[in-house]
Amino acid sequence: MDCLEPLACLRFGSQALAFAISAVFSLTAFTCDSAQGQENSEPVSFVNDVVPLLTKAGCNSGVCHAKAGNGQNGFRLSLLGFEPGEDFESIVKDSRGRRLSLAEPESSLLLRKASAKLPHGGGVRFQEPSAEYSTLVNWIRQGASNDYETASQLVSVEVQPNHASVNPGSQQQLKVIARYSDQPQRDVTSTALFESNDNAMAHVTPGGLVKMMDLPGKVAVMVRYQSKVSVFNASVPLGAEIRELPPSLNFVDDSVFANLKVLGIPPSPICDDATFLRRVSLDIAGRVPTDEERTAFFASQDANKREQAIDGLLRSSEYADFFANKWTAMLKNRRDDASDITSNFVFHAWVRDSLLANKPYDQMVRELLAATGTVIANPPVVWYKRVKEPKQQVEDVAQLFLGVRMQCAQCHHHPFERWSQDDYYSFSAFFTQVGRKPTATRGEDMIFHKRGTAAATNIKSGHVLKPAALGDAIPAIASDEDPRLKLADWMSSPSNPFFAKAIVNRYWKHFFRRGLVEPEDDIRDTNPPSNPELLGALEHHFIASGFDLKSLVKVITSSNAYQLSAEPNQYNIADSQNYSRYYPRRLQAEVFLDAIDDLTSSRTEFPNLPSGTRAIALPDNSYNNGSPFLKVFGRPENESVCECERVQSSSLAQSLHLINAKDIKSKLATSNGRADRLAKSDKSSEEKIRELYSVAFSREPRADELNAGIDFLAEPRVDAAGNPIDPQKANQEIFQDLIWALINTKEFLFNH
Amino acid sequence: MPMGGTVGTQVEIAITGESIEGAGELLFTHPGLAAVRKLDANGQPEANKYVVKIAADTPGGIHEARLMTRLGISSSRVFSVGTLSEVVQATPNLTLATAMELKVNSICNGVMSVKSIDHYTFDAQKGHRYVLNCDSRGIDSKLDAVLIIADAGGRDLVVERRGKPLDFTATNDGKHFLKIHDITFKGGPAYFYRLSLQELPSEAPLPTFAATKTVSSFSWPPDGLAENSLSSETESNNLPAHAQKISLPCDISGSFYPAADVDTFEFTGTKGEVWWVEVASERFGRPTDPTVLIQHVSVDGPKEQLTDVAEFSDIASPMKPSTNGYAYDGPPYDGGSLDIIGKLVINDDGLHRLQLSDLFGGTRNDARNVYRLIIRKAAPDFALAGWGLHMELRNGDRNALSKPLALRGGITVALEVVAVRRDGFDGVIELVMKGLPDGVTAQGLKIPAGKTRGIMLVTADDKAPKSLSYVAFFGRSIVNGVEVERPVQMAAMAWPIVDSWGEIPSPRLVTGLPISVTGAEFAPISIAAKEKKVWEVTAGQKITIPLQHTRRSEFSGTVLQLKTSGAGFEQVPRFDVSLASDSSEVTLDLAALKTPPGDYLIAFYGSAVAKYQSSQEPSAKEKSVPKDTADIVVSEPIAIRVKPAEAK
Repeated sequence: MDCLEPLACLRFGSQALAFAISAVFSLTAFTCDSAQGQENSEPVSFVNDVVPLLTKAGCNSGVCHAKAGNGQNGFRLSLLGFEPGEDFESIVKDSRGRRLSLAEPESSLLLRKASAKLPHGGGVRFQEPSAEYSTLVNWIRQGASNDYETASQLVSVEVQPNHASVNPGSQQQLKVIARYSDQPQRDVTSTALFESNDNAMAHVTPGGLVKMMDLPGKVAVMVRYQSKVSVFNASVPLGAEIRELPPSLNFVDDSVFANLKVLGIPPSPICDDATFLRRVSLDIAGRVPTDEERTAFFASQDANKREQAIDGLLRSSEYADFFANKWTAMLKNRRDDASDITSNFVFHAWVRDSLLANKPYDQMVRELLAATGTVIANPPVVWYKRVKEPKQQVEDVAQLFLGVRMQCAQCHHHPFERWSQDDYYSFSAFFTQVGRKPTATRGEDMIFHKRGTAAATNIKSGHVLKPAALGDAIPAIASDEDPRLKLADWMSSPSNPFFAKAIVNRYWKHFFRRGLVEPEDDIRDTNPPSNPELLGALEHHFIASGFDLKSLVKVITSSNAYQLSAEPNQYNIADSQNYSRYYPRRLQAEVFLDAIDDLTSSRTEFPNLPSGTRAIALPDNSYNNGSPFLKVFGRPENESVCECERVQSSSLAQSLHLINAKDIKSKLATSNGRADRLAKSDKSSEEKIRELYSVAFSREPRADELNAGIDFLAEPRVDAAGNPIDPQKANQEIFQDLIWALINTKEFLFNH
Repeated sequence: MPMGGTVGTQVEIAITGESIEGAGELLFTHPGLAAVRKLDANGQPEANKYVVKIAADTPGGIHEARLMTRLGISSSRVFSVGTLSEVVQATPNLTLATAMELKVNSICNGVMSVKSIDHYTFDAQKGHRYVLNCDSRGIDSKLDAVLIIADAGGRDLVVERRGKPLDFTATNDGKHFLKIHDITFKGGPAYFYRLSLQELPSEAPLPTFAATKTVSSFSWPPDGLAENSLSSETESNNLPAHAQKISLPCDISGSFYPAADVDTFEFTGTKGEVWWVEVASERFGRPTDPTVLIQHVSVDGPKEQLTDVAEFSDIASPMKPSTNGYAYDGPPYDGGSLDIIGKLVINDDGLHRLQLSDLFGGTRNDARNVYRLIIRKAAPDFALAGWGLHMELRNGDRNALSKPLALRGGITVALEVVAVRRDGFDGVIELVMKGLPDGVTAQGLKIPAGKTRGIMLVTADDKAPKSLSYVAFFGRSIVNGVEVERPVQMAAMAWPIVDSWGEIPSPRLVTGLPISVTGAEFAPISIAAKEKKVWEVTAGQKITIPLQHTRRSEFSGTVLQLKTSGAGFEQVPRFDVSLASDSSEVTLDLAALKTPPGDYLIAFYGSAVAKYQSSQEPSAKEKSVPKDTADIVVSEPIAIRVKPAEAK
């Protein structure tokens, strides 16, 4: 994926980049009077004065002259000025040097375009007069020299203050200081770029003035100057008095409640047993509780019965099915050809069995990364069938297992991160010795380690790079050692700064709807977590547990923070990042389909799978084609490593499907289905209503619901002409209608 | 069904298959197995039912059975023999509620249905060890078995999907479920299995489960090799500092275990020595890919200087195998192997380090991935495998024609034979068959010097009587001045493949080579030279050979395109002969072929679609609608002598 093409970068939710681009667009032409205009007598540095001005003005943004290909109308600049040497060539020498006029600087094409004296698609970028305009004129007048080799090197950028508590509705001015290798520090506030990581919480002006909105929580402003970034972290307190907090059951509660206390956001109370059981069953096993589970849970007087319920769910095969469904989507287990069926089934099964056996996460990832052999003998090699190119491999591994998006660094220095192209290609070097041998099955290779020195070439510099981990050196790898094993060693090291953090954040999001870092696979210094203490504690717990995924799920779900009610109080209704209440979520497509099947006592039949297979156990994306339900409710096609490929938003098509689709109707009318059975049953109306509520919502009906239900069952049914219809048919229709109504309630549609 | 039995017992079996109506004898590859027709209450033989007596001294493992039918000998099916008691899956057991009880230390013979999971139960005792195994692929079944042990509530506890046994120690007393299904939930009569449940002492090694052999295994072992190796590797020998000292020659057994295992050996070599390195592991049926790296070690102060001497991986396929694409591009049999046979030349005196590892072993922990490493002085030799010739048929038709050698009168059948040459052997290999049925002749288009492919032509005279013989098929050559004979190990499909685009063929080695003559049916067409003689031609000249067609069938189409097989004549351009004519001729241009003087044996071959009419008492419907069958048509062998051109 080429980050210089905005559409490609935006495809899978690269929020940060989207914001960056919009921020660049919002810049107005320079008219400020506080910038450091250069006097004629002071030498102007191309690297440290000119390029930052071009960046601030947006000239070298991805949609302007740094556009992939040939820039804009043949004038090409490096993205955000990351390659000043190339920019100099482009400005001064390309097109036979016509862009500058040393004899008459103001007549330079560069300035006449930028000030819109000549038609310019980008409009006015530099007002004349302005300090910035003068700086450019002076640089040209001084001979438009290139100081790429000699300019003072930018060492760091500091934002002041770097953190603060700022009340809702108030403001904070930021100041940006640049430090150089051999010259005094400079205030570069006017030429720095600012970017809020949550515009709903804080807006920042081009001049660095941060304006808080009304939402409480944590917000960060990324500050970029040339290739350096810095972050301002703001805490926005609500400031409400907190009289009581739920008891803390573990370190998760310690961190969540401490944060709420600092922010002054009173949490909702603990949810009731019925809500808990339904919630945790849906979140861990992807299904509503079974009759046996409900009965046993409600009958239990044990003080630890919630914990026992969690343990039971973690032992269930549905836990493995549900999480295998999650993982195989991100690992791109997709069927492009009918012959893919074997590889897709075995790969899904490998993930599912690993989860069932609670294989340590680091071991699982190791088996995948360094997979060798054949599909049947070693199913993780299927990943190398799906993800064939080293470029794809490095990007998927970084995003999925490390929470680092490396795509941008393939072509240029990462705009929001410290990663350079050398970092990208050094990381990809781990995958350069993956050998392939053909098998009898077309499209399937045997994967092996090809002896040789692992190295990748930076396509821009031509430098040949040995494997290096992100921000970490790796000891020399002998030619007969598989570099992927060394990568796996590095990843599973307890000191790895990404690996455990990425998975605990991903799992946190699974249970809380929002990651501590959001998006969950974009962990970087410039996108800080909303609760760093909690993220650190989870990371520590996970490593200490031996990368135990079930233990991670248990510590999260057994916390009172997870068990808070979804009902907001008068203070926390606006809170969407501090976990002061449970954030309801629409059931995902497969879970929803299974829940409807459970409620209607019907089963959805899937090709090549035994009758009774639940939708959460489907091995690949091919089943979406035959199921409009799965498609309309957003089941992913397993094309992306990003979980955002799953569509969780609501749509008119979903509503229409629930109202009128054939498959819903046929489930309601299933012979010997629940409606049919209840219609024929001798049970009392009350018992029937109770059964329906129990299955649909895992709770007893309230008195008003019970009465309304009983009344509904007693209503006479007439045909279009107003004549009473056959009692047996009427009875069936009544129960079909009632179940249909329950399916369409928010309580059923959502995990809450 | 069942597909096996207990030694010292007799078992009633039922057979199914195509064209087995009126089947006669059921023949086994081991004399300890004997079958008689099952008789009904009236003393009449029941159709397709036999009683098999398994003598008490019959070796455990797999044996093969074939059926004599009206059309001749059938393809082979595996019959297993063991010591555990056997039962047959009775009623459908597709749910927990209908699970069938499987006694500990017994075997159930079952058949998997489509989109189904077969359920069994057994009573486990806490702390006891149970081994669950499913024989399927190794006994010619299409089933890729998934084994699951579940608790009393049916919840999965452990799963095995890679064809291994499931080694399970119970954590609770009481009822457990066993679930078995195909990896993609396929099913049908070809998806049979033998599910065994054994209790073993906790320290006992896993039993070995016999299976058919892969085609690649025909090149193992080298002739005269001792059954057991002379020594074994000693872990931990991963690092050079812990290298195991050996001297050459050597014969070492070991295993690629644990994950990413590298076995390092060191020996002293002398400049000019030549050794041959052979490793077997994949040919044992293991999912491994051994690789060997040999380096010369010199010491330069505190540092070692390593110089690559040799790197070995894979035994090349004797001929390019099929890629199973749309068009035919090679036989569906791969005689190559991921194992190693390689030549090692020592260039410098001194210490040499050999590293042996498994290219597939980076993350896998399986002590059963064993190997045998042999380093020897050159022992030139060869190993041979054969199978029915395949070729492109009409419109991408990929019928696998690895049929049993049940010959119809007047037919010539071509067998493709490949050689793995060992330790530099490059001599001519003659192909020979002995013990043929009456009226059957065999002539080999020899494997030329240095080449790896030859053809054997088996011809049944159109008057050949119905018969059956187990023939000896071997290659003969001169090695180091001594005549040696090596068997041709035949390979066949585990099951017929209608379309290898939709289903990947599963070939294996078979035991023995029975050849039968039907005596009842005839080849649709026979093509032979008009005269049975040696056709003489001067090098650089042309020769025209008149061909005679003996036609016994109608055909779909009127033209048969023929290619030429046989060393020196493979480049003869394809030519057409008329299927409507009783004769034709072919002109061979020796100038274009540049075939040197010598004696040659060639044959022409192509494919035709015949209108097959069964010789069986036909029903009116069958008679009116003959069945199109794609046949490979091979001419009788033709001998050609190329004489030297006269000096000018």
